[in-house]
Amino acid sequence: MSAVKNISARNPFWVGMHEAVPLLGGYIPVAISFGLVSIQSGFSVWETVVISTFIYAGASQFLFVAMVAAGAPLWLVVVMTLLINARHLVYAPNIAIYLPKSRWWPWLMHGLTDQIFALAHTRLPQLPENSRMGWYVGAALLAWASWIFGTGLGAVAGEELTTRWPLLGEVMPFALPALFLVLLAPRFTSRLWSITLGVTIILTIGFKLLGLPNASIPLAAICGAILYHLMKGLWGQGSKLDG
Amino acid sequence: MDNSLWIALIASAIGTLLLRLLPLIWMQRHLTHRKSKEAVEEMPSWLSVFGPVMIAAMFGVSLVPSRMEPSAWVATAVGVGATLVVWRFTRSLGWPVFAGVMMYGVVILVF
Repeated sequence: MSAVKNISARNPFWVGMHEAVPLLGGYIPVAISFGLVSIQSGFSVWETVVISTFIYAGASQFLFVAMVAAGAPLWLVVVMTLLINARHLVYAPNIAIYLPKSRWWPWLMHGLTDQIFALAHTRLPQLPENSRMGWYVGAALLAWASWIFGTGLGAVAGEELTTRWPLLGEVMPFALPALFLVLLAPRFTSRLWSITLGVTIILTIGFKLLGLPNASIPLAAICGAILYHLMKGLWGQGSKLDG
Repeated sequence: MDNSLWIALIASAIGTLLLRLLPLIWMQRHLTHRKSKEAVEEMPSWLSVFGPVMIAAMFGVSLVPSRMEPSAWVATAVGVGATLVVWRFTRSLGWPVFAGVMMYGVVILVF
């Protein structure tokens, strides 16, 4: 990150795109899988691409096509899709303080996925205010485009791709945990935060292993936040333990 | 797709956008109302904790391999280690991710 700290000399749009490149390793293989699953569920290529373009939320898209294919009532499909995406409620307020005034922000929130939030939450505070919008647009646009491109590719040639290069789909998604780790590592600044984040990570893994893949993120995050406040209350505000 | 399915798709898309958009409008109004110069202090503390813990939760969930085999767990551990080591020296975004993916891939190939 230090390499791009002096962003004023570079176009923030391109810096945002450049910094979002690691996301492609996670986005494209998952998007290819979605394209393939959607076609197998009976959707056409362009319907599949429309879903990725406008819903643009990984797990809920898989659920959407699976429930429709299973013949679930459509109101339930919509409710479940939105329930899975409910975690997005806490993203925008956490970055709102870093966003300069612009009437475009509400529309740009379409690009606020899990990964873009994690990236923006770390990078926006480090950027000059006049560079933040350009940076966000660059990062979010690359992520969105790669998701749509991957979906189209999966819908058209997903079966052939996964047969020919099975390892690619297995190895590339590791870019996502690696990216989250890089964004998370600088936050281990105190005992309070180290314990909170460590326990949250362990709980999420536990919940996922227990068969709660979609509920694990909000459940573990709520437990982590409660733990943080409990420890802060016990140790006292302003303690050295809270970096 | 028939019309009802299109309506479900549009409702899901608009609902997802609103889940991302409405909290922003709420927070912007909250900040404007406070007219605070130290906005971080004005953000509800329970909310400011949610940012880092959500990233930690996303990290945790993405760590679990799709195949529950020992080799996948070993590859994950090696990939995490490589990412951390390279991050420690470069403090950059791209190189640690690249190193992590490469080492993860090497272990998957070897096993």
